[in-house]
Amino acid sequence: MSEKKNHPKNDNPLDFLSGESNRRSFIKGLSFAAAAGSAALTAGCIPSADAATTEEMKLRWQEFFKEHYRLMTQEEKDGTVARLERLAKLQKGLDVQMSSQSPLEGVLYGYAFNITRCEGFMECVTACVEENNLDRKTNTQYIRIFEMEPGQLDPGTGDGQYYHEVPVDNKFYMGTQCFHCEKAPCIKACPTKATWREPDGIVVVDYDWCIGCRYCQAACPYYGRRFNWGQAEIPKDEITTRQHYLGNRLRPKGKMEKCTFCIQRTRKGRLPACVEACPTGARVFGNLLDPDSEIRYVLKHKKVFRMKEELGTDPKFWYFID
Amino acid sequence: MVKTLLVGHVMTRICKFISMIALFFAFFVAHADASQKSFLDEIKGADATFDNRSVPVTKQVTEESVLAKEPYQGGSFRVLARKKMIGRYKCSSCHTEKPTTVNRGLELTHGDVYLTHGRGEQALSCIDCHRDEERDYLEDKKGRKIDFDHSYQLCGQCHFRQKRDWLGGAHGKRAENWAGDRVIFNCTTCHNPHSPRFEKRFPATYSVPLD
Repeated sequence: MSEKKNHPKNDNPLDFLSGESNRRSFIKGLSFAAAAGSAALTAGCIPSADAATTEEMKLRWQEFFKEHYRLMTQEEKDGTVARLERLAKLQKGLDVQMSSQSPLEGVLYGYAFNITRCEGFMECVTACVEENNLDRKTNTQYIRIFEMEPGQLDPGTGDGQYYHEVPVDNKFYMGTQCFHCEKAPCIKACPTKATWREPDGIVVVDYDWCIGCRYCQAACPYYGRRFNWGQAEIPKDEITTRQHYLGNRLRPKGKMEKCTFCIQRTRKGRLPACVEACPTGARVFGNLLDPDSEIRYVLKHKKVFRMKEELGTDPKFWYFID
Repeated sequence: MVKTLLVGHVMTRICKFISMIALFFAFFVAHADASQKSFLDEIKGADATFDNRSVPVTKQVTEESVLAKEPYQGGSFRVLARKKMIGRYKCSSCHTEKPTTVNRGLELTHGDVYLTHGRGEQALSCIDCHRDEERDYLEDKKGRKIDFDHSYQLCGQCHFRQKRDWLGGAHGKRAENWAGDRVIFNCTTCHNPHSPRFEKRFPATYSVPLD
């Protein structure tokens, strides 16, 4: 046992390829060596043989071997952001301003939804689709609005596919999205730790570490997560270019995505796109740790409830009535 | 001798066992306490004031706003201005003693205003809200002169519940930012004062079934 421990590295004949005794850098070195030696391998990974020497290919290699977002230093974060901006320019001709802004101190985001006020105009949904670069082809939406019968409070009983003049008399409307639970079951379900709770309460996904297994989708009791079966198809002039690494950047194919409370906006003091778009003021957003905020006023003075509270997931999304 | 030793041994064993059970219960109780403490308690306990202006806000509110004449949670706030949005303000530019011709009558009598504010017996007329003597102002039931930019003072005399919620933040909405200076929509930013109820219309989009 102790003998093995003394010579763990010498067992591997390819060890000389990596300078440090680090598994990732070892694999990286190994892959570079293999790529240089074998044209067959690179032909499978890149669009054309020429591209192997281009800037794009180099950036894609570096992107492929980067760290998990939470383990990156600020320097590495800046590096990946710069690479992704450059790649967007090279591949799609887009001038993207990507950010890796960290959470604000003393902020915990909370959301409230007024089921008396919502009239089902669904302008929040279109604003969300535009802001977060969602796929237009499959009509992916993070928000769903349900037309509910009076007396019901479970959106499962409502009609989520209505398309007629609203509001209909004697019905009410209830919106759902990711509730950013404090004890989120999706985080526990992820086998690669690609999803986690940020210090400001937002549950985010590192799209480059997500393997697309969809365990989190199965674990979420609120149907808050969406899977993209392909790269989003968006008209070029409709792409939101103010992006965040953990937010609305263009996701690769086969990744899990979800509402991020518009992390690219809210960390800059702005309201999420859905709140800004709401024509009836049914949506309230703010800092739960600020006793003078609107969201705290709602929690203190209004009759509030949370969906499936008995599950103990502690969502930071409250419904309230006037 | 052996017997007493044995008894002593058994006694220490029992003591150890009892203390372990006690320890276990102590741990269990402490743990149960910890798990019942929700993050809601943390939120309720957070009473330190948060300086919203400390957040670097990237997008300032571009719409014109005025300082509200009422307090918000002890502080001040701003509301979106209204006068700039009224096409024919100032009213006193037409409402003068000067005579006018009949063919301009339709335009000058506000034929485009469709008044559906209030129901049945309580239906409102123009001078329920507009000040008769000074047409550039509104007037409440007590005869106070009210500026068009501060119409919440007028609306709130009947819709006092909505006004209370609006002041607190449960009715209406903020403009652009959750941080920075509090700038909120005025009553008339969303509601047409002459027919305040939102009209029925088709939703902006539709949803497809999930997977």
